[in-house]
Amino acid sequence: MEARPALSIQRSGASQLSSLGVSGGLSSSLSIPSTHLEGTYQKLPDIQQVPSERELTTRPQAHATRVPTNNGVVGHIFSSSSGFSSDLHYSSVLPNEKHSRNSPFISQSLADTASLPLSQSSSSLLPQPTIPSCCNKENSGSWCTDPDFLDFPVSTPVQSGQVENIQRSEDFSKQNDWQEWADQLITCDDALTSNWNELLVDNVTNLEPKMACQVAKPCTTMPAQNQQLPSPSVESLRVVNPSSSANNAPAKPRMRWTPELHEAFVEAVNQLGGSERATPKGVLKLMKVDGLTIYHVKSHLQKYRTARYRPESSEGSSEKKLTSMEEISSLDLKTGMGITEALRLQMEVQKRLHEQLEIQRNLQLRIEEQGRYLQMMFEKQKSGLDKLKVSSSNPENPAATSDATKEAPTKSELESSQRDHLDSGTGTVNNAKSMLERSSREMGGEDMATEAGDLEKTKARVSETSPEQAAKRSRIEE
Amino acid sequence: MKFGKRLKQQIEESLPAWRDKFLSYKELKKLVRQISSAESCVEYGKADAEAEFVHLLNNEIDKFNVFFMEQEEDFIIRHKELQQRIKRVIETWGPNGTKPSEAEYKDEMAKIRKDIVNFHGEMVLLVNYSNINYTGSLAKILKKYDKRTGGLLRLPFIQKVLQQPFFITDLVSKLVKECENTIDEVFPVEQEDEEEIVKEQREAITIAGKGIFRNTVAALLSMQEIRRGSSTYGHFSLPPMDLPDSDLIHSFQLNSPIPIV
Repeated sequence: MEARPALSIQRSGASQLSSLGVSGGLSSSLSIPSTHLEGTYQKLPDIQQVPSERELTTRPQAHATRVPTNNGVVGHIFSSSSGFSSDLHYSSVLPNEKHSRNSPFISQSLADTASLPLSQSSSSLLPQPTIPSCCNKENSGSWCTDPDFLDFPVSTPVQSGQVENIQRSEDFSKQNDWQEWADQLITCDDALTSNWNELLVDNVTNLEPKMACQVAKPCTTMPAQNQQLPSPSVESLRVVNPSSSANNAPAKPRMRWTPELHEAFVEAVNQLGGSERATPKGVLKLMKVDGLTIYHVKSHLQKYRTARYRPESSEGSSEKKLTSMEEISSLDLKTGMGITEALRLQMEVQKRLHEQLEIQRNLQLRIEEQGRYLQMMFEKQKSGLDKLKVSSSNPENPAATSDATKEAPTKSELESSQRDHLDSGTGTVNNAKSMLERSSREMGGEDMATEAGDLEKTKARVSETSPEQAAKRSRIEE
Repeated sequence: MKFGKRLKQQIEESLPAWRDKFLSYKELKKLVRQISSAESCVEYGKADAEAEFVHLLNNEIDKFNVFFMEQEEDFIIRHKELQQRIKRVIETWGPNGTKPSEAEYKDEMAKIRKDIVNFHGEMVLLVNYSNINYTGSLAKILKKYDKRTGGLLRLPFIQKVLQQPFFITDLVSKLVKECENTIDEVFPVEQEDEEEIVKEQREAITIAGKGIFRNTVAALLSMQEIRRGSSTYGHFSLPPMDLPDSDLIHSFQLNSPIPIV
């Protein structure tokens, strides 16, 4: 990890923070975004998660790159708030880092960052446009594991006085830029403006999902945005605006990683000198995978670093929270045997659960498949009957045609059963199924009936597999 | 016990970070009730309500997908790391390693064993998560919807769900299996008096608090319960589950605030 003198962190961190209007010293930096997030997003209708502060700060997460809906975006805000906090620090400390590192600011962070200065102090707003403008859905991870950051105490609130002092002493000149930036942001979108106004009211919690969406727009960000210095950032801001409207829905579909892809990733990283030294851009180039964007690589790199860092210093983050095997070991027997056996038992139970899950899943797939097939047959039959009706020249179609007579009542029964949505214990489809069975028999088609029967067979098969499982299990336990 | 309650219980037993990632069954159920009670209203109202319902469901699905894929990604990374770690330990402190040291080796292996088992557990729980959200929640809520409102939402919607990333758990299952293989290699083959083993196990489990193990047990039992049969058992319902050693598993429910009946 890059060594950064603590002092410089303090200073630039403070300036960055203050620019966001995040008042208070560094100590409050981590907490502020989260508290504000929680405050501002409470009223969002569809958001069900309010992550705990601790979680936010201790689990930087990669941001989902997809923006399917407004709510989805806002959801990302939550998940990425931790990233945001760390992003904050990171950007403040490394002005000269490659832009690829800086760009991963969460797009949503714009909402946060923007809201913060406005709501905090009007007089001492500092322009740090780069932070909000440098937004990306990704969290560049390199600093997340930096011990310097992790040491920042997560305490509370906002001490505006402190901020103002810092602001005045350091970033006086930036005020103009801030104005410009604010203007530009506001001209970006009227809705955004209205949101800003709302935010200006202290602790306004009525943020709409729209806000998040707007946030996404300007944030598509300038990968080119790296500097923390105001002047270049202003320029890039100007660049931002035109493109923001073009990038309305940042197309960053969620990437599904595979072990093979990961292997390629690890190779690339190793070639570049390890997880600490490798940069997302470099890795991306080396991997040469189509459709892989730098954001994907960034978030993956962050996860990768976290995974490596933790096991070396501790037993792995999740284990601490999750299992109490450590308790067992301390209370348990002298021999390591006890622990091993307990672990074995745990394994067995887990294996069992997995087996059952697989069985269940296969069943579900089969059931739905059958349902689909039945539906298809039903449709076919329906269209067949319709054709008959149409082809018949008799004006009194449904009743008169001799061909149609047999099917018609059945058909109309089926249709009515569908329309009336029979609320029988066995369900509509079941009804349809039995109807189909009858009609198919009438029409001489045996297939339908057999298909329906198949479903029952599948279920019966479940019990057949159990003796096999039992045998398997007894083998294991031996 | 009603499904909603059981789901809630499952969620409570689950890993803290996951708790809000499940389907908001209660909310959706409320919505369905609202819709059905307002059925006397105009057709327009109904279509609107359905749109809202679908919209909410889609959001939930997105939530699942995102969470699932993130976890999956994490698992892929950790899986590889574990394997490398094992290799490293064997190479360094193993009998043929560069600095053979039985004590260190044993120590490290013990840690690895623990980590692997927990890792395995987490993966299985993710598969379980996927399953709960599908069977338990989505399928159920859709069935409720159709039943209450006479809609035909279920079939087409469920088809769509089947293709969602969160439902396609093949990769995680594969990792689970690989993990099991690794575990077999890493665990010493021990022979001990059976009675003693069982006794130790019981003691060990007694002390076990919340965690993966607890969650796993809860999951198994819930599954069994859910499939015990319902009032609307039909061709789209799952048959009762066959869970060997069910009694043993039931006995693991110690210190459980909410007994899984």
